[in-house]
Formats: sequence, C-alpha cells, structure tokens
Amino acid sequence: MDIFIFESAGHYIGIEAKYIYRIADNVSIVPVPLMPVCYEGLIYYRGDLFDVIDMGRFMEKEASTLHDDPYIILLKWNAEKVGLIPDRIVGIKWVEDNGGAGAVFNKRGDTAKLMTPDGIWKKLTGLAHGTR
Amino acid sequence: MELDKYQKIFIQESSKYLDELDTALIKVEKNLQDQQLWGDIHGKIHSVKGMARALSMTDLATFCHAMESWCKLFQDGTKIPDERIVQLLFDGTDLLKAFVAGKGNISEPEDLERLRSISEDLAKDPEDLVDRAEPEIRLSAAPGKIDRIRVDYALIESLLARSQEIMLLEKTLPPLTQEQISAGLGNWINHYISMLKSLYFQLAQLRLMPVQDFGELFAKTIRDLAKSYNRDVTLEIVGGEIEVDIGLMDRLREPFMHLLRNAVAHGIEPSGEREKSGKTREGKIVLEADRRGDQLILTISDDGRGLDREAISAYLKEKMGMSHQEMNALSNEKLLSIICRPDFSSAGETTQLAGRGIGMNVIVQAIKYLGGNMKIQSEPSKGTRFIISLPLSLSIIYAVLFRLGNYILAIPTSHVESIENGGSKSSEKVEQLCDLRSLLRMDDETKAKGHIIRLRQSATSHIPSSENGGLGIAADAIIGNMPLMAIPLGELLAKTGLFAGVGIMENGDISLILDLEKIQAAVA
Repeated sequence: MDIFIFESAGHYIGIEAKYIYRIADNVSIVPVPLMPVCYEGLIYYRGDLFDVIDMGRFMEKEASTLHDDPYIILLKWNAEKVGLIPDRIVGIKWVEDNGGAGAVFNKRGDTAKLMTPDGIWKKLTGLAHGTR
Repeated sequence: MELDKYQKIFIQESSKYLDELDTALIKVEKNLQDQQLWGDIHGKIHSVKGMARALSMTDLATFCHAMESWCKLFQDGTKIPDERIVQLLFDGTDLLKAFVAGKGNISEPEDLERLRSISEDLAKDPEDLVDRAEPEIRLSAAPGKIDRIRVDYALIESLLARSQEIMLLEKTLPPLTQEQISAGLGNWINHYISMLKSLYFQLAQLRLMPVQDFGELFAKTIRDLAKSYNRDVTLEIVGGEIEVDIGLMDRLREPFMHLLRNAVAHGIEPSGEREKSGKTREGKIVLEADRRGDQLILTISDDGRGLDREAISAYLKEKMGMSHQEMNALSNEKLLSIICRPDFSSAGETTQLAGRGIGMNVIVQAIKYLGGNMKIQSEPSKGTRFIISLPLSLSIIYAVLFRLGNYILAIPTSHVESIENGGSKSSEKVEQLCDLRSLLRMDDETKAKGHIIRLRQSATSHIPSSENGGLGIAADAIIGNMPLMAIPLGELLAKTGLFAGVGIMENGDISLILDLEKIQAAVA
C-alpha cells in the first residue's frame, strides 16, 4: 500500500496515503482556548474546518520544529477532518502491508510507525481538555 | 397553505411535466407503437390532471382526461396511432401550457377556438381522425424567458473552494517596491482582494435555503397521502423565511418525510370523526422554524388524535415488564419517548400504535447525527408535536466580534444590549461581570477592561434583567458588528463546553461564537 511518511518527535510515522487530503501552507492557525496542549488551533481550508494538531506534542515530546511556519498535513476521512504539523515530510512510499507495528520504507531499513486517522482521533478525543 | 402557494407549486410542477411531455411526444412520433412511451405520456397527463382536480380547475382536468383517454388506447394497443394523432396531442400540450399559465383558465379567443376544436377531435374515435387530411403544423413560440437555472450543489462547493484558494494567494504576495506602491499597485491589490472576499461571502450564501422552500417540497406528497388516506389536510409553514444550510436540510429530508407521513396517515382523523369531536373538518399540519439562542428549532405539529397512550402502556407492560405503578411514576416526556426505542416498531405494528413507532428510532438517530435532539409532546385528541433542536448550522448571522488576548470571540448581535467603555459609570451597573479570562483559563497578564459587552436578558433564560444591570462580558477590544458564516463545532471543540459554533468572517478569518447559556451556567 502507499503510505505517506513524515517525521515527528524522532520517529518516522506513516499514514495510508488515501487519507491525505492536501498539504497546506501559508494558512493562519487560529488558537482555541481550553484545548489539550497538542491542539494548535483551527484552520478554515477550502470550505472545511480542520483541527490542527502538533504531532511532536501529540506524541508527548517537544513541539514540532515546523511549529512556527508549518506545513500542515490535512486528513479527511468519514466525517472527520484533522491537520497534523510534522517536523519533516518524507513523502509517499510503497510498502508491504504486513500488519505489524512498523513498515520498512527504504533501502536503509528505516521503519515507519503506522498510524490510522481513527487511531489519532481516538487518542485526541480521549485527551483532557482545559489543561492549556 | 394559502391558495396562491398551491398555485405556485402547481405551475412549477405542471410546467415540468409539460416540458417532459413534449420530449416524450417527439420520441413517440419516431416510434408510434412504443406502448411503454405511451404509458409514460399517459402518466404525465394524469399527473397534471390530478393537480388540476385538487385545485378545482375543472376545465383543465376535463381536457386532460380527454387526452388521457386517447393515450390509454395506444398504451394498451387497442388503437394504432399515426403522426396526425401525435400532432393533435402536441397541440393539446400547447393548450395545456396556456391553461397552466392562466392558473386553470384560458381567455385568449384564439386559445378558446383551439380548445373547442381539439376537444371535438378528442371526443371522436382516433381512427376517424386518421381519415382526415394532414393537419396544419403550428410553429411553437420562442421558449419563455430563462430566469433561473438548476445548479449542482457540488459546483457551488467547488466554486467556494476555488475562491478561497485565490484568497489564500494574498498571503504569498511578495513585498511591493516603493515604486510599485507609488504607482498605485498596492491600492489596486487591496481593492482587488476586498472585492474577492466579498465575492466569496456571497458565494457562501448560495448554500442557504429558506425553510419555506424546504417545506414546499413536501406539499405534493402530503396532498397525495391525504387523498390516499381519505383525509382533508393542509400544510402551514411558519418562519419560512429562515435560511438554513442546504446540507443540513438534505439530511433532514427523510426524517421529515417519516414524520409528515405519520401525521397524515395516523395523526389526523377522517373529516367525519373530526367533526364529531368538535374539530374543523380539515386537519392541519404545521412546520415551524425558529431560532432560539444558538439553536435552530424545527417543529412539526398536527391537530390530530395524539399518540395512543394505552398502546404505549401495553408495550411497557409486555416488553419491559413494567407495573402500573412504575408507569405512573414516569414523566410525560419519558412515557412519550418510549416510541423512539429501537424495538418499538414491531410492537407498534402489533398494537396498532398509530404507526408512530415505525422508523422513529431511525429519525432520532438521524437527528443525533446532526448534533440535535427531538422532544415529543402529545395530548389525546389535541395533537402531537415533534420539536427538533439542531445546533447552530451553517447560516449567516450578525455578531459582535471582540478580542480577548490571542482569541477572537463572537456574540450574536441579537443577544447584545449595549457596549460600554470599561471605565464608564454605566459599566459599573453591570450586576454580573463574567470573568471570561478565568473561564478560558488564560494566563496572560492583561487585566484592562477595554469594553463591557452587556447582554440582553433574552440571551439566556437565567440572566438578570439588563435594567438592573445584566450579565456583562469584558473584552480587550471590539472588532465590530459584522456578518459571520456560522458553522457547527466539531467533536473536539464541543468538549470545551463554552462555544456554540465557529464563525467565518468575510475575509475568511475565524472567530469562536460563545454559547451564552453555558457561559452563564459556568458563571453561576
């Protein structure tokens, strides 16, 4: 399967490419109070509202290095929409779907931790709000 | 519903059928013995006749009936048509258009002469017409003025997306040189961007649909249902001018269809039964739209027999094993909400519970999916009301926007009593000052009260009267009173419990619309 790979908090992370809607840049992120620390804010892009998440903080590490001038990976699936701020975008790679936790994506043997939008969303909805 | 509204629907629907009739006649002219096509033609004329009869347009209905009788002969193969017969039906269709334009009447002498002539021909056996000479072909007049078009909703979405992308280009504009600014390029670009933003905002409004149009979608179905159940029913629409996002309305089509069908089929009594119980012969179904606070309230009510409580009790006893004592302890609201249980439909069928159970669970699920809820009120022999509350949906509202720290917040203008300077004497009269900074857990050092936004009493049911000094909200700076495109909160934002929606400004910027009832509750 094609997976979209990016780097965050020292890990390579892969998300199945079919969930990637757009990569947005030059979009102002509007801050929202009472949201978890990893929640950066909202963007309104092509008629849709996206919750924007800093993946570094989401993985309980430092804020992403792209934090101040981010590329935002926009995911759209079912009725949900979310934007992710990574440290670095690697690209789309074809990997075998071996059902394991990691997928080898280059000749060096680097592995990406596969995530699903539903998995990210489930964790987000479980985070405590009002802690910022 | 008033007569002119029915007439408007009649003209719209009939015109559609008559245009389709022209197309079908063109096809059948090339394949005269296509019985399926004749069936199609028959059906379209029959539909116009049905609507004409409902509006007591006797002449039009009689003329349709004559055309229909001929079509039936060709549909079942009893007679073989020829081109002269098809031409006569074309002429008949032209005359039907004149009838429709005249709301069931024709007055032009030329049309009256055609009516007489065509009616005489239709009264004959079609074979007698076949023996006649070739008819004179009447050239059709130019089509009427085109003043509206149908547009695919996806195209509107696409236009909105494209215009927003063009607006985003502003952010990539390279710095202008002094020379370019002096040459007026800066002003030109600002003007261009301002026009573009205005265009975007107007495009966004294409997504809105008046509740009146939504309700009228069901008028014909209600009329047909009423006929088939031998009921006399009118549909009244209240608050039809309220505009709602077409996406929301589309998702409500099926639930509303169920509720209206149930109201006609099982709520409204036959005319004789109504008269015996002192009601008007004609039952009434009301679709009412209202905005209360941050909610859109849609109510469907009927003045029929109400829900059958005995059948609900029977269900509670048989399916849930409840005793009479336990049933009596249930509130009215809880008792009526039983009909929304997933397993109620089968019980509804067996207990003849007015059929309300069928599909009610599906309706509730559809409304919940939209973030709303439904309440049921019903009184025996007085009627039933389904009250559907939906969150602030995509719509244009006016709001007072203000800045608090890094946040841009909004309060619907209809909820604002006044705005005062923080240091003014009148601002001291504010009985309750909401410490929004604390509620939003802001840790900035700013303590200045730039302005106080005083809320109207109606903004929430709990706020003290503004005459005595109502609830005030401190703002760092007022941005202005401006239109916002309001869209519902997502699941994450809803967890904050303090916002009613997200507002998009004309320039595409985002603000957060405060939920005043929740703010008040938090203050209390």
